Amino acid sequence: MAKELCEGGAKVIMLEGGKEVSPSDLLSHKWPYELPFANLRGEKQAYFYQGDVATSIRYETQARVEVDRARVLGGRTMHWNAVTLRYAPPDFLEWTLAGVEDDWPLTYEELAPYYDRVEQIIGVCGNDDGLEILPAGKHYLPPLPWRCSEHILKRATDALNINLISVRKAVLTKPYDERPQCHHCGHCMDGCDVSAIFSSPGCTLPKAAATGNFTLRQNALAREILVDREGLARAVSFVNTDTGKTEEVKAHIVVVCCATVESARLLLNSASPQHPAGLGNSSGVVGHYLHGHINTTAQVYLKELQGRKPVNQDGATDHVYIPRFDYRDSHRGYAGGYAFQVNYDSYMFPRQAMLLKGYGAQFKRQVRTMQPGYVILGGFGKSMAAKQNYVSVDKNRVDAHGIPIPVVHFQYVENDMQVWQGMKKGLQQIVSKLSGDVFFEESTGPSGLASHEVGTIRMGKDPKTSALNSFCQSHEVKNLFVTDGSCFTTSSEKNPTLTIMALSMRAAEYIIKQRRLGII
Amino acid sequence: MSALSTSLDAWGATWGTHSDERAAWAAGDYKLQFFTPAENDLLDRVMEVIMPADGQSGGAHAAHVSLFADRIVSTGTDAANVDLFANLAVSSDSQKSEWRKGLQLFKEEAAKSSLAEALARASAGEANPQTDLERFFVKLKQMTLVGYYSSEIGIHQDLEYQGNTYFYEFPECTHH
Repeated sequence: MAKELCEGGAKVIMLEGGKEVSPSDLLSHKWPYELPFANLRGEKQAYFYQGDVATSIRYETQARVEVDRARVLGGRTMHWNAVTLRYAPPDFLEWTLAGVEDDWPLTYEELAPYYDRVEQIIGVCGNDDGLEILPAGKHYLPPLPWRCSEHILKRATDALNINLISVRKAVLTKPYDERPQCHHCGHCMDGCDVSAIFSSPGCTLPKAAATGNFTLRQNALAREILVDREGLARAVSFVNTDTGKTEEVKAHIVVVCCATVESARLLLNSASPQHPAGLGNSSGVVGHYLHGHINTTAQVYLKELQGRKPVNQDGATDHVYIPRFDYRDSHRGYAGGYAFQVNYDSYMFPRQAMLLKGYGAQFKRQVRTMQPGYVILGGFGKSMAAKQNYVSVDKNRVDAHGIPIPVVHFQYVENDMQVWQGMKKGLQQIVSKLSGDVFFEESTGPSGLASHEVGTIRMGKDPKTSALNSFCQSHEVKNLFVTDGSCFTTSSEKNPTLTIMALSMRAAEYIIKQRRLGII
Repeated sequence: MSALSTSLDAWGATWGTHSDERAAWAAGDYKLQFFTPAENDLLDRVMEVIMPADGQSGGAHAAHVSLFADRIVSTGTDAANVDLFANLAVSSDSQKSEWRKGLQLFKEEAAKSSLAEALARASAGEANPQTDLERFFVKLKQMTLVGYYSSEIGIHQDLEYQGNTYFYEFPECTHH
């Protein structure tokens, strides 16, 4: 968004609640024995959760659900596996095609040009696999090479007529746009020290800065969006977390992009006489329709690879992907579906050690023997956009800066449970074709939201049931835009980031045009 | 170096740099913070039985895993970040004291026969621990495994892990 606006001639000031972590400060390549707690306490990722962000939240739910609130310059682009998938045309049409939820106020065809442009800017590796369920672009970098385990997995999925493809992800497999290629260390989630994986500080923010139109304020935690007499946004009040003082920045247009929970929190904390239920919330939907992905996993230790001489398998985490296949079953009994990510984990720690019973020399040998055969499959399933699931703010409990904290209210709905059951069945189906030791995740329900939470400031055609139009513009506050995952109407089994970026680019283009026309 | 720099030289500044630093527990250069020397000695011996030295690699003793345990227990927070390891969270004094009580149970059990037999009895209910001793075994084993496979010996000698380095090209599987 900042890059597009700056390149379009707008003067942009970006308020970042956290601060920059320089590549040389990243701990990605540290060995566990170089860290004070061997990374048991998340030392490698601690700088993505600055201040009290990790603790200033409350969950009112019995469900296994967690949201991700990274606070760092670049947000979650500093902390992701970069799986970069387009939504398919049916993903925008849940009501029309499945009779559930709502249709999006825009179509795949309207968004496709922006998918194209984003993919070229960020650099995406992969192939056009000719799959309707997973539309492809035309500008992919070479795909990542496959591990032995992935070739074996391919044999299994072929036997079931299930596709297994090279993953599409925002990881450079060759030098691109003055960024070096991936060096296959497997530490994507800990931050990429060379920016081979896309991050906004490593790719788009420097381009914004190069225009001369960009100002970055770090440690500037947005408290409230202030409005004028007509109820339009006029300024953002923020806490300078270095000084503790509240400051204010005026703006003609305010674009909110704090991630799904924080954006809803900000709008709800921006109540005023003009907007008593929160900014742009006369519909009452802001905060509601929180949803994301549900998960289940299986770890397999392939017999064919057990006992082999260890080789470097870390790579760029996921190298292959199993796209959704359950849509072929018209009697599956639920809306939406699931897909599988593969080998998104480091090979350094032998997870089977925590699952095997016993101890001693034989146990130790067994762990060692199994390790080269490790493959992990993780299901990512659609969860329903249900109004009953929401984010509120607790006016009686504030964070370290005096800002009311968010509260997450969430229960899985029936369709979620059915998707989860279907996902487990699909996983068992694939694993049944593999020879090896298998450990399925043991739980009585799904886990979520897989850091893919969306939906709390949804877009839609009807201002009574949505907060934003198809350009991420508030229905009622015309100079307010929300361009993170909170704008999603519904979600699919696909990872949301590419769609967030495409929607954001489309919104930026709209803002520039509207400004030139003097409309906003 | 700034993350907002697009200079390749800037990006490359960290290439190939590996530090020789070791956390104190890993280097063996560590003063006990929670366990007494006697408790640490017992812990060290039990952990070595769980994860012994063999022809491939050193065991828990050589990897200083009991010192790792002391580090974790003495600095307990509620921040065990991975569900898999949540059993190792030591967020309260009572959870810390469970370690001391557990070791005492082991000591008493070993006094009846031997350490090896005490461990065998404690592990009998691993799948569904019912007694304090059995529950402590589960926790003790997890601590041993996390410490061991986070150590130089566990990672490099035992598993011969080849990653966490800079590979210009990732070798595709040639077996299939």
